[in-house]
Amino acid sequence: MVTLLAIGLLAILVLVFLRNRMEAASTLNIVQLPAAVPAEERRQELLDRIFGPEDWEFVLSSAPKDVQRLFLRERKEIAFCWLHEIRNQAKAVMQFHLAHAKRSEHLRPFAELRLLIDYFLIRAKCGLVAAVLWLRGPMALRKMVKQAGGLSHQLRSLFELASKLEPLPIKTKGS
Amino acid sequence: MRPSSNLNPTAVDNALRDLQNRTLARLNGNLARLVYLASTRNYNTGCYEHDGLSFHFSRPVAQEALAAAHREVFAILALSPLRVIVAELQRYIQSGCAEANELVAAWNTSEAYRILPPATDDPLTAKLFSSNIKVALAIVKATCALRPVRDPQCASQPPSPVQ
Repeated sequence: MVTLLAIGLLAILVLVFLRNRMEAASTLNIVQLPAAVPAEERRQELLDRIFGPEDWEFVLSSAPKDVQRLFLRERKEIAFCWLHEIRNQAKAVMQFHLAHAKRSEHLRPFAELRLLIDYFLIRAKCGLVAAVLWLRGPMALRKMVKQAGGLSHQLRSLFELASKLEPLPIKTKGS
Repeated sequence: MRPSSNLNPTAVDNALRDLQNRTLARLNGNLARLVYLASTRNYNTGCYEHDGLSFHFSRPVAQEALAAAHREVFAILALSPLRVIVAELQRYIQSGCAEANELVAAWNTSEAYRILPPATDDPLTAKLFSSNIKVALAIVKATCALRPVRDPQCASQPPSPVQ
């Protein structure tokens, strides 16, 4: 029981810390959810195209070395853009949730903790993919297409979880 | 441009079919179609303009049909493998729009291909498309450099109906 209370307390403390950090970082007064994530099917198709082997094999077989280097540079840039997008969307989901959670009368520690863990897992996975990109280039991610897809899926789960933690009625002066 | 809920979907479908059958079907390849559809968009207002289609249907219906066709053609091309995009670019050049060297130089300098995507809510897809065109241009340029000067693909062609 004490352990559970400690976990709940820890989750609330981390949320308060994150809220303060994000508030300081953000100059926006209105926190909005990120623009709609493209349909799952199309997103997967896009990731397959970016990280899949087909285009690289084509370039390898039909283009000179300088074009091959151009291709790798371009794909690396796109992969970083995609990572940046995932990070920003995850951050926006958390900002949205925190904006509502701070007005909530009854926080649910376990749900908050789960959301927090999911958020940090996404950040950690983004870091891992970025490290692979830096060290071994975009084609090293060929075998990580599934993990890349998993990152998008995790983001969607985070989005859904944050939506489920419905904000409780806001206390108004009149009520 | 977002679809308007006030428009009659049947009218938009009819306009779209008319556009596909009368105009787009005559163009040589999806890249030519994309260039054509992007050129019907007013870059100051973001609205599509097509006098013939507006005359037969109505301006809002024509706009929506053009926007839908633009999204459709772009979605096909943007998610196509690079070899398809290279083939489309070669086909576009063969249709006589310009000499290969001229087109490659002009597109590389002005990056005109960046205005081809529709106003999409997914910037990553547009980025992938632009990147693929950039690589395709480099491949076409390298291919032309290896071929004789009067190669049909690298030399000028008679003007096509696209023009």
